[in-house]
Amino acid sequence: MIVRLAWRSIWRNKRRTLITMTSISLGLTIAIFFTALVEGVFRQVVNEAIRMQAGHITLENPEYQTSPAVDLRIGGVENLRRRIEGIEAVEQTKLLIWGQGVANSGAGGVGVMVMGVEPSVEMKTSPLAQDIVAGAYLADSDDRMVVLGGHLAEQLKLKLGSKIVLTTNNAQGQLVEELCRVKGIFRTGSDEIDGYLIQIPATFARRVFGLGDDEATQLGVILKRPGDQAVVIDAITPMVAGKDIAVLPWQSILPEVASFIRLRRTSNGVFQGLLFVIILFTILNTLLMSVIEREREFAVLLALGTPVRQLKGQLFVESACIACLGGLAGMVLGGSLALALQIWGLDLASIMPKGVTISGFAVSTTIHANLTPPILYWIGGIVLGATLLLSFMPMRRITQVHIAETLR
Amino acid sequence: MAKIVEVSSVAKDYGEGGIITHALRGVDLVLMAGEFTSMAGPSGSGKTTLLNIIGGLDRPSSGTVHIEGIEITQLPGTQLSRIRRDRIGFIFQSFNLIPVLTAFENAEYVLMLQNVDKEQRVERVMRVLREVGLEGLEHRFPRELSGGQQQRVAIARAIAPEPALVLADEPTANVDSETGRSLMELMRRLNEEKGITFLFSTHDRAVMERARRLIKLRDGQIIEDTEPRNL
Ligand SMILES: Nc1ncnc2c1ncn2[C@@H]1O[C@H](COP(=O)(O)OP(=O)(O)O)[C@@H](O)[C@H]1O
Ligand SMILES: [Mg+2]
Repeated sequence: MIVRLAWRSIWRNKRRTLITMTSISLGLTIAIFFTALVEGVFRQVVNEAIRMQAGHITLENPEYQTSPAVDLRIGGVENLRRRIEGIEAVEQTKLLIWGQGVANSGAGGVGVMVMGVEPSVEMKTSPLAQDIVAGAYLADSDDRMVVLGGHLAEQLKLKLGSKIVLTTNNAQGQLVEELCRVKGIFRTGSDEIDGYLIQIPATFARRVFGLGDDEATQLGVILKRPGDQAVVIDAITPMVAGKDIAVLPWQSILPEVASFIRLRRTSNGVFQGLLFVIILFTILNTLLMSVIEREREFAVLLALGTPVRQLKGQLFVESACIACLGGLAGMVLGGSLALALQIWGLDLASIMPKGVTISGFAVSTTIHANLTPPILYWIGGIVLGATLLLSFMPMRRITQVHIAETLR
Repeated sequence: MAKIVEVSSVAKDYGEGGIITHALRGVDLVLMAGEFTSMAGPSGSGKTTLLNIIGGLDRPSSGTVHIEGIEITQLPGTQLSRIRRDRIGFIFQSFNLIPVLTAFENAEYVLMLQNVDKEQRVERVMRVLREVGLEGLEHRFPRELSGGQQQRVAIARAIAPEPALVLADEPTANVDSETGRSLMELMRRLNEEKGITFLFSTHDRAVMERARRLIKLRDGQIIEDTEPRNL
């Protein structure tokens, strides 16, 4: 009977109920859609940054983060990578050799970051290998070849096939000079990467920097699913026991990206919170109005001997119905919009300038949302829970109804 | 015969501090089972106040009220609520039906509060609706019924739980005099056939004439208590 009364009561004022449900569902739609959108951008940037660099999990010398020097390397990498690739959640491992140096051409010299890579692995994993705008990417058999960023090429007035001299110190502390040729030029959209990075084949890099065949600066692990990070770290840690190797999550390798995302999540949360407060006011207003309007009806029900607790129950069910229906509509609408954006993506090239970066990593102009179940159930759950909490305020009014006065 | 209602020295004051209205000034009244009593008096004489206090919808400033021997003025809300549910039926001037419930459901409502099982409920509600002359209109909502029909639903709702006492505050004031007379006929018949005790207030002469006992109220006091004619 409570349910019957509640259900019919909320539809008595159809317009008001629909307005309330609409505001709940629109609020939820916006919240879900934008959260999924922002998460989608984060996922894209993180994914590209990770694949361009050292993966979701990185194995490196424990001191490398604090003082990146070319002699801080790890050994026995081939055996390690074979064992790591045996883990089901692992998509790919990659070896990186990092060093700093100066690139010289006839036009002058520029300080650069030199990244030794395995070309065939990069072709499979790194977005950079797809960003070649002139020439071609490296191949495993290449020697004394480099690919470099567009800005750097301009600065050094380099063209395809141009000569370039790399000057650096090797792990033994000796000065090294190597003559190479430009094989390809990439543009990632990030000024930092395009103006500062040079890639060379790993075998060549080992020779330049004086590393052994089984050594590298980093061993990167790319996962099939980012969520498996902690599990895989736990699986790898015993493999390096006793060795001078740290197993680090990408958040430690790219702390600026991680903290940027944390910051944006917080500000997104604040924005959602404000939206949420507005929705709650609409809901509270509706619930209170509907009780005030029906005070006489409640007085009659009380006069007939209805227990106060039953009337409260009725109001609770009314609030719950409104919240559930509105919430469900919002979750379906927001969820499908986000899902559509996830599947088809949105090309913002016309309104978004190219070259937007997060901590030096380019944001794609085609945005895909990332709708995760927690987004749905957290946002939905908070709205539902808050509505039910709010319903206690109109309930309190019922206990204050004076039957005789109200019925006069 | 059993005492259904016993009102002793009941006074009710409204307002505090500045202007105090003495709505009731020491009312004594006893109603025996099966009585059909009308309370008359000019507007503001205290009729509604007295009915509300007898029905446990309001509490007196002083004095006591016994319903079937139970003193109700000091009872906690939940017990008072149960007495209203089980022992007292209310009929209001402005019908006060639940707009989202049909005629049937309005009459059924208190039975549901009492947890009467479904079969018995349906049987009793259908019988009561027939008795008040609403056969065939069971599934109409209040807004689909005339004023007289709505008041018949209210009467059905009041008597369906088989209360000891029905209190009716100016039950005919919102309908035309023809309808008012037939409502009085109905209540009178229910009183005679089922022995339900009725107490109603009115300032409608036609209504007063149908009462077996007539109480006159003025300025919060009973000034006359007569049995105008016996049947
Ligand atoms: N809530 C109230 N506050 C102040 N005075 C009231 C209130 N309710 C009723 N009264 C006064 O009490 C007196 C009796 O009112 P009432 O019982 O409604 O009379 P009746 O039903 O006979 O018209 C009137 O003078 C009325 O103005
Ligand atoms: Mg009155």
